[in-house]
Amino acid sequence: MQNEPVDVLIIGAGASGAAIAWSLLETRMRILCLEQGPRLEDRDFPSRDDDYELARYGKFSCDPNVRGLKQDYPINADDSCITPVNFNAVGGSTINFLGHWPRMKPSDFRTKSLDGVGADWPVDYETLAPFYDMNDRNTGVSGLGGNPAYPDYKPELPPIPIGKLGQTLAKGFNAMGYHWWPSDVSILSQDHDGRQACVNAGTCDLGCAAGAKGGTNFTYWPMLENAGVELRTEARVREILVDDSTGFATGVLYHGSDGQVHEQRAELVVVACNGVGTPRLLLNSTSKAFPNGLANRNGMVGKNLMFHPLTGVAGVFDEPMLGHEGPMACSILSQEFYETDPNRDFVRGYGLHSGRSTTPMTYALGGYGIDNPIPWGAEHREIMDNVYPYLAGLTVVSEDLPEEHNCVTLDPDLTDSDGIAAPKITYRLGENTRKMLRHGEEQAKEILLAAGAKKVLSKNDDKVWWRAGWHQMGTCRMGDDPETSVVNGWGRSHDVKNLFIVDGSIFPTAGAVNPTSTIQAMALYVGDSIKTNIETLFD
Amino acid sequence: MWADMQRSLLDAILDELIPPSEDGRIPGAGALGVAEFFPTAEAYAPDPMGAVQTILNAVSGEFVALPRDEKVAELKRVEAACGQAFETLIRLAYMGYYSRADTRPYFGVGAHPIHPTGYPVERESAALMDQLTAPVRARGKAYRDAK
Ligand SMILES: Cc1cc2nc3c(=O)[nH]c(=O)nc-3n(C[C@H](O)[C@H](O)[C@H](O)COP(=O)(O)OP(=O)(O)OC[C@H]3O[C@@H](n4cnc5c(N)ncnc54)[C@H](O)[C@@H]3O)c2cc1C
Ligand code: SF4
Repeated sequence: MQNEPVDVLIIGAGASGAAIAWSLLETRMRILCLEQGPRLEDRDFPSRDDDYELARYGKFSCDPNVRGLKQDYPINADDSCITPVNFNAVGGSTINFLGHWPRMKPSDFRTKSLDGVGADWPVDYETLAPFYDMNDRNTGVSGLGGNPAYPDYKPELPPIPIGKLGQTLAKGFNAMGYHWWPSDVSILSQDHDGRQACVNAGTCDLGCAAGAKGGTNFTYWPMLENAGVELRTEARVREILVDDSTGFATGVLYHGSDGQVHEQRAELVVVACNGVGTPRLLLNSTSKAFPNGLANRNGMVGKNLMFHPLTGVAGVFDEPMLGHEGPMACSILSQEFYETDPNRDFVRGYGLHSGRSTTPMTYALGGYGIDNPIPWGAEHREIMDNVYPYLAGLTVVSEDLPEEHNCVTLDPDLTDSDGIAAPKITYRLGENTRKMLRHGEEQAKEILLAAGAKKVLSKNDDKVWWRAGWHQMGTCRMGDDPETSVVNGWGRSHDVKNLFIVDGSIFPTAGAVNPTSTIQAMALYVGDSIKTNIETLFD
Repeated sequence: MWADMQRSLLDAILDELIPPSEDGRIPGAGALGVAEFFPTAEAYAPDPMGAVQTILNAVSGEFVALPRDEKVAELKRVEAACGQAFETLIRLAYMGYYSRADTRPYFGVGAHPIHPTGYPVERESAALMDQLTAPVRARGKAYRDAK
């Protein structure tokens, strides 16, 4: 079945797809977005149920292999120490993301020239700064201006409460003489733009039933649909089609909600399927011109997969820390160990995040992102009564370096519910990252003790959190050299001149901060570059 | 769902997995009726009832009457012998116990569905924030230039 052709076809209605659609609105081109997931209705958010925590282990798990819904694609992560997690619906993974909103730092864009590792980005912090600002305005960002760890900027809304836990940890950082700052968050600290302020429910991973979190289902999509962008849901793209004679993309084949395969033609195709979904789609799009997958003449599609490997340390304090009150991920963030220091045995660095503590069931089952239940019996009682309420933790979030052997390929057997080959992840932790995590654990222990912890709980087992593949980057990296990168400095495929990629797969390096504000700033930048280069776009 | 004997055996096992507090304020998982969660737990484990049955079959027939320390020893033996089923039993017991609204307040967490009310948390005053961040600001710029 064929549909009327459009000017711009965006695949994926998550963070990046929404941002580029907004950027292209003013061109008045006809924009269509195909999204494999549904729209979520208010009743779909489990936090309105008595047993809300259960949803974390079923239909609202962050792990598509656990959810196993029709719109999900399974991911084979048997060859990885981290499994990618996501959400597939209008809003994408911003449905269940935690709204932590740090920007990348100037040095993140220049790791090769500064530290001899990774790759320099074709853009720098200064170029991106106005797009960060633009995206923050569209999203609603809370935080405290004046953070000395960044060039000057000021979030529009005041910070969310850092809470007792944040205040306690801040004192520890101060006692050590270390940097920390209240986290920037895409969570409303006050009513804003017709949206409601955060109610400190603490279950941001279960979707925000208040609409206070900056998921694109609440921010961009209402604006976009009002402005006439068409959003076709339950439409899973099977492959991107190319004209073998011109090498241009002509459109896509997708499985519609009616169970039929449809063809959709377009002048320009934008892929925004996240760092695993995007290489998967390109690798599934084979043709005479691209037998190894679309835009993959140099074999780089799927290579250099980066996560932010992490581990955590928790302190047990004398008083209850009330860690379940307030947005889940974000209280304060220290970037004391972010930049390279020649006195350490690793390059680049990591952030120390004070995640708030989880709710009782999740703690008993091992914590968020971990499957390792606490002991049963008398010890169980002791931990839940005398440890759990008194916990404040620090998470070490490390910069992953790009390594070609860490990659996304297609699984030869596994498929999604439409019979499309599923992705397979091959990933191992680099030695640099391992050293970083060890260093981070030691520092975190000292800080917790300085903050007054009477005991510190740390695993010391050299393992990273399993369900922590929240951030998926690098698998279609951008660069000026067509031999070593998939897209150019403004997101256009080197091989297919009317194909753009805008999600985290274009990141040449990962930084050590949550990526979404940068992903969206980059999507806006790519949109802007399309507008600037419109006359010669396909040359 | 359960024959009486099986139910009392399961309750006794559950009361060892998550025992009551010594002062009796917090009930154990058996007394709380967590057994009723298992038949509803298909979404959280492949064969919840199969796992429970494996454990019930493996535990000594005398279990209910044993003194506490012997119950614990018996469960450790079963844990070693039936690793996978025991793991499933533990996970589901924790889920059944902590998903109940009435258990959360024992650990300082609200019984209410978390939306729409959430928790009232005051934002720190500007003065407190100033005071807390003063040492950080005093240290000055904390990032590398990358020109
Ligand atoms: C639990 C969790 C917590 C997180 N917390 C944070 C945080 O605090 N801060 C932060 O910065 N980031 C966080 N992230 C990461 C953040 O959600 C992602 O970085 C961001 O959403 C990525 O944007 P994207 O557009 O690349 O992909 P997504 O937002 O995932 O959107 C991709 C969309 O593409 C659709 N799609 C994929 N393949 C196809 C296809 N073939 N056809 C049609 N549609 C398709 C998917 O259904 C999905 O809706 C978190 C993620 C998770 C899962
Ligand atoms: S804590 Fe705030 S942001 Fe998070 S889900 Fe609740 S209301 Fe939304």
